[in-house]
Amino acid sequence: MSASSLAVIEALRARGLVPSDLEPPVFDESHRPWFVSLMLGAAGWLAGILLLVFIGITFKPDDSVTLIVLGLVGMVGAWAMYRAESDNAFLGQLALSLSIAGQISLAIGLLQDVNSELLIAVVLLVLQLGVLVVMPDRTARTIAALFACIAWTYVVRFATFPQSDWDDWFEPLQDGELSSARVVVGWLATWTPLVGFAAWLVNREPDWMSKPLRDYLRPALSGVLITVAAGGFATEPLVMATLGPGSMGVDLGWWSLFPLLSIALAAFAAWCAFRLRNLGLLGLAIAASLVHLGRFYYLFGTSLMWKSAIMLGMGMLLIAAAYLLRKRLPAEDAP
Amino acid sequence: MQPKLTRFELDRLAEHYKLDPPGVDVLLEASEAKPTAPEIHRFLMRMLGVGGLISLAASLVFFVAANWSRLAVFGRFGLLELVLLGCALVAILKPPSATLGRAALFLAFVTTGALLALFGQTYQTGADVYELFLTWTLLGLPIAILGNWSVTSAAWLLVLNVALMLFCGWQPIGGLLWAVFGGQPRQPALLLLVPTWLNIILWFVFEGFRVEAVPGWVRRLAISCAFGFGSWAAILGIVDSPSSALAVTGVLLAMALVAFHSREKRQDIYPLAVVFGSAILIGVVFIGHTMEFRDEGVLLVMAIWLIGTSAFAAKFLASTARDWREGSAA
Repeated sequence: MSASSLAVIEALRARGLVPSDLEPPVFDESHRPWFVSLMLGAAGWLAGILLLVFIGITFKPDDSVTLIVLGLVGMVGAWAMYRAESDNAFLGQLALSLSIAGQISLAIGLLQDVNSELLIAVVLLVLQLGVLVVMPDRTARTIAALFACIAWTYVVRFATFPQSDWDDWFEPLQDGELSSARVVVGWLATWTPLVGFAAWLVNREPDWMSKPLRDYLRPALSGVLITVAAGGFATEPLVMATLGPGSMGVDLGWWSLFPLLSIALAAFAAWCAFRLRNLGLLGLAIAASLVHLGRFYYLFGTSLMWKSAIMLGMGMLLIAAAYLLRKRLPAEDAP
Repeated sequence: MQPKLTRFELDRLAEHYKLDPPGVDVLLEASEAKPTAPEIHRFLMRMLGVGGLISLAASLVFFVAANWSRLAVFGRFGLLELVLLGCALVAILKPPSATLGRAALFLAFVTTGALLALFGQTYQTGADVYELFLTWTLLGLPIAILGNWSVTSAAWLLVLNVALMLFCGWQPIGGLLWAVFGGQPRQPALLLLVPTWLNIILWFVFEGFRVEAVPGWVRRLAISCAFGFGSWAAILGIVDSPSSALAVTGVLLAMALVAFHSREKRQDIYPLAVVFGSAILIGVVFIGHTMEFRDEGVLLVMAIWLIGTSAFAAKFLASTARDWREGSAA
């Protein structure tokens, strides 16, 4: 038990919130900084894919039923390992890899004969929500929450803009195919629930922290904030599923402002990360907003003069807002 | 902004003591996990201010890239030079550490790069892109030092690393770095050791001399760049056998030095995590290359390597972080 933990527990005791005879909890491996979790998640994900390819080459499962059975076996195995694991990091990491391999196998088994992009996105969303609820591990839940949010953006996208074949997935919509109403509705339908959910979770943190729900909502909050910070491009009308090389050279129109909305989403994620004092998420949100700015530069044709004017206006507006806020800050609190 | 306890630890405390919402509120307050109203106000102010500054800088870069034909060459240079002059004047009148002075010098740093780009664009100097970034790094160094601000330092470090990446990755012919390295038989893996070690030297310097302009997050950026290049060098070294021994030795030496220094200092485990991450990545490539993908069993070995080493790294890093934290609190 660290000195900081003891000091906090003492503060709780002083206010009569903690009985004096109750022992403090034991934190086994509890302090896992964000970059260690990131390393674990990335390694587990890559190992899961390698495992899946190994199984694919070795057993050559070629029909849906075998893939589904393999997927379920992998996921049940992972679940059992998570339940059995107490302080065994190797078993935990093996479970994560098995879970990833199982999910991919299950998804391929369920979806290999499906042609509807919308249905694919819906099934993946349901699968990830299932993993979020069932897998008793923080890293696995965070990854599931992230993929569930990504699946959600594509559920709305394919519901708003149904597409005829897979090739369309990598192509931006052409100007003539766009309808302002559908673009705006699609954007709002994607982000309003995610932004609203994140805001609610941040504002009502003490409420859900006091309930067992915290084991699900904490990873969900991380997944939502990562998606809000980095995933804005997925709902930009001329960019869609890719990072948008196809939209280079397209005439500048009001669609070009969408990367700025992605920056606004990243700024919102940064704001939430600060409220949670989460340095990793804050860094990610800042990096994502710079990437969105870079995309604003590279995409949408050559009307850089307009873009320059837009950035000038935005810069002046933001600095004026910062100045006004500074004036409202009491002198003793000024930096 | 680091709280006394992580969110995970706070969740466990709330669970263990069965705290109700007001109790959790007290917990968050006692652990300084919830920013106070003035802190939120200041954060918002900084976010808007820095966002505005970066927008202005982007506006300048976009303007140069636009190559606007209605403004003559003289006008374009004049405009940028006026901005540079204005920034210098503001910085003289309100020198850093005043916020205005820092912001002006950040803008001056970006304007320097924009001016260089305009020069190359106007006179078709034939310079490679890496030369633009390298010259920007050299000319921008005094500004970054005078700026005495972490944001300017980070921008300078990024510009330097972009220059090095362009040179080492694409290996163009011509320019200052080519003059230094061009006469040698250039093996890409060995060339990549240069940015690796340059970033490590910068990291060591600022670990030794702590200055306000290079706080922990900028040092972390340097060490991340170092091992980004280091991993690239070692992987190329493994794949490209003539240079493998020297390249891998160079990277291993860098890893050993950084790990040793971090263990001595007992402050930040981030460099150790980067070393582990790099070693795991290099290891997986080494396995794949050495076993030559003879059969599918190689994939299994690679997966087991990833699982085993990442699990060990996580356990080691978590316990080390806890020991250091408790040690510093004691």
